[in-house]
Amino acid sequence: MKSLKLALLGGALSMSALGASAETFRWASTTDPQTMDPHAVNSAPVLSFLNNVYEGLVRRGQDMSIEPSLATSWEPLEGENGWRFNLRTGVTFQDGAAFTAEDVLFSYQRASDEAADVRSWFAPVTDVRVVDDFTIDFITSAPNPLFPDSIANFMILDKDWAEANDAALPARDAENFATMNVNGTGPFTLASRDPGVRTTLAPNETWWDDVDHNVTEAIFTPIGNSATGLAALLSGEIDFIQPIPLQDVAQVEGRDGFKVLEGEETRVIMFGFGHEHDTLLYSSDVTDANPFTDPRVRLAAAHALDIASIDRVLFRNKIEPASQLVPAGISGFSEENQDRPAFDPERAKELLAEAGYPDGFSFGLKCTNDRYINDEALCRAAASMFAAVGLNAELTTGPVRDYWPQLREDDFDMYLLGWSPGTFDMEHPIRFLLHSQDDEAKLGSWNFGNYSNARVDELLPLIQQEIDPAARQAMIDEVVAITQDEVAYIPLYTQPLIWAAKDNVELTQRADNFFMLRWVTVN
Amino acid sequence: MVYFILKRMIQSVFVMLAVAFLAFSLFRFVGDPVSQMTGVETSVADQERLREDLGLNDPFVYQFVRFTGDMFKGDFGYSYRTRQPVADMIASRIPATLELGVVALIISLLVGVPAGVYTALRPRGALTQAILMTTLVGVSIPTFVIGIMLIFIFGVQLGWLPTFGRGGTVQIGSWESSLFTIDGWRALLLPAITLGVYQLTLTMRLVRAEMMEVMRSDYIRFAMARGVPMRRLHYRHALANTMVPVITIIGLQFGGVIAFSIVTESVFQWPGMGLLFLESIRFVDIPVMGVYLVVIAFFFVLVNLVVDLLYVAIDPRLRISDVS
Repeated sequence: MKSLKLALLGGALSMSALGASAETFRWASTTDPQTMDPHAVNSAPVLSFLNNVYEGLVRRGQDMSIEPSLATSWEPLEGENGWRFNLRTGVTFQDGAAFTAEDVLFSYQRASDEAADVRSWFAPVTDVRVVDDFTIDFITSAPNPLFPDSIANFMILDKDWAEANDAALPARDAENFATMNVNGTGPFTLASRDPGVRTTLAPNETWWDDVDHNVTEAIFTPIGNSATGLAALLSGEIDFIQPIPLQDVAQVEGRDGFKVLEGEETRVIMFGFGHEHDTLLYSSDVTDANPFTDPRVRLAAAHALDIASIDRVLFRNKIEPASQLVPAGISGFSEENQDRPAFDPERAKELLAEAGYPDGFSFGLKCTNDRYINDEALCRAAASMFAAVGLNAELTTGPVRDYWPQLREDDFDMYLLGWSPGTFDMEHPIRFLLHSQDDEAKLGSWNFGNYSNARVDELLPLIQQEIDPAARQAMIDEVVAITQDEVAYIPLYTQPLIWAAKDNVELTQRADNFFMLRWVTVN
Repeated sequence: MVYFILKRMIQSVFVMLAVAFLAFSLFRFVGDPVSQMTGVETSVADQERLREDLGLNDPFVYQFVRFTGDMFKGDFGYSYRTRQPVADMIASRIPATLELGVVALIISLLVGVPAGVYTALRPRGALTQAILMTTLVGVSIPTFVIGIMLIFIFGVQLGWLPTFGRGGTVQIGSWESSLFTIDGWRALLLPAITLGVYQLTLTMRLVRAEMMEVMRSDYIRFAMARGVPMRRLHYRHALANTMVPVITIIGLQFGGVIAFSIVTESVFQWPGMGLLFLESIRFVDIPVMGVYLVVIAFFFVLVNLVVDLLYVAIDPRLRISDVS
């Protein structure tokens, strides 16, 4: 009884405490940013979180468009390949140091070091030259019209701060000062950090830009278990959570005082094939050949899938069918090639018969069960749709932590993959998923089945270097047409983005699933 | 006695070595740490370089020897995921787990022992039947379901208790405690009950069975005949004699409580070692997983030792056999 009274008393205490600090904003997500070092790890939880603290030369607006940040303008260099960035004057880091071109140069050197996981962003860069305190040139090996877009998450550190604290390089093995401390130019600064438990941000009073938010304190808690996260939201202990599972949407919508924010993520879910495999690995009937090397068989598989049913049954009508490796709205999206193979089991059977497999065959399908929304359910549904036309998928699902190694070892006949274009341009999936595997040139590194087409390989560098938008789009259209024609992948749909918040919270849901505190208003 | 403790300590080293060996032989099947540590855009060559740097390409036995050798030197290595020293990470999570485990144990004893005695003395009472039914239900529902139910009743519907985390904590030296604030206790209550339910049921049933057994024995009947007061008879003579098996089982279970608080910690986002271990599995953070398992093995060994020592304290006959 005593403990009950205590509990009641405590409840009353905390209620009043909540009322007093209305602008304290509490939010949760499934994964803790593993480090506060903006160059150590190229992962969404880290980059999303640190974008509140650090800033790049350019940044993305609410609609994902590129806008000035620490650089006020940029233009291609004359007479050589590269870009000139004109830097913002009067910006200070959170410790009071002035921001200059030296800091950009230093950050470039730090971020392109072998110890940095983000170094791939700087693969095209051959040199960086400080012109004066507020002008800096990035020299690239070839014309690179997309370079400014590709460095939106390249965050700038203060040179003196990093060097004084022995953090001149990102921590690769042991932690260093920058793992737990920050000194950015961004709208928020780190007030406290307890990794995996709680991280507190406070507004940066000296931020250069107009303040749109009214947050006086922001507390982040990672909550791995989705039921716990939902309970924390519904009990009012947190104001916002990203993401929530599809099946909880009705729960949240059904309660007063809460809302669900839905959008389309830029991630396209697709099936890939072992284009290069001579035989099927998991077949019980076809052991001397790989039917998937025949484009007709791949097309048959595409025709077998009923995306509308998958949408209705598994995704509550929240997915957008995909025709290519990026969704509409992403730059480079091929308007000309918007059609995806229709759901047509009869045509699928005909194609299989034409290819010499009138009775179908069995094969192995690999899927994750903890990486994408409803990934396992999707694969079960797909397997039964394949079976209806004679393609008997033997489904293996597993956690993502040992999924990629299996794919890298070619241990699949068909596999599930989701791809979000890091640069928000079609060139990204062409580079990683469609170009032939070439470790030397760092191309095709996620093209597990090694789809290979000489013309696509030839077009990629041209697309990367083409300045004229129309000519560039024509080449992209050609790549999309080829890969659709050859059914390099079966793009399925764009994954939905589902966040939940209290009604009194206004925030912006950006398509890259990044959460920016500077757009939060607590009413 | 000193010899006995020393002997057990040496045994414990072998137990931990065996656990570390088993753990290491399984880690290879957990997944690939490098693909979890790097972004999608990281080149294959850079991944390979990192794998080499971390020594992941070395033969299994070599990796194991290096891991245990470093541990003997007191170097627990660095987490792949956060780059923090593993020793610090685990040490900072121990208070949360221990406090949760101890409070769960206390709750289970405070409720379980009296309930066991009561149900033994009044085997046909209506309340007894009710208690037995309730505990049967309690023990047959999985821990995470109990946890979620408690969260939704007391956290979401009634809004009395927090649904996650440790609430207000107080730093005492390097020990972060939630036992000194009301907020801390409020946060502790639900997870401790969740974790303690199984223990509680077990304790109650054990005490009940033992008590009924003892109550039938000759010396109790004799004492009853002599007119020893019932209260003294029940608590001094009967209950004390039920305690040896109860302490054995409860003690051994306590190791399990610490080890299997993983589920409760995950449901309540309780920042203890179990939650750390779960996150480490997700990221294939081998150094953290390795050290965690060794630490848990150490707890088991320690608990066993304490149980053995308690025996000696409770049962005088064991002291004599130890001397001989």
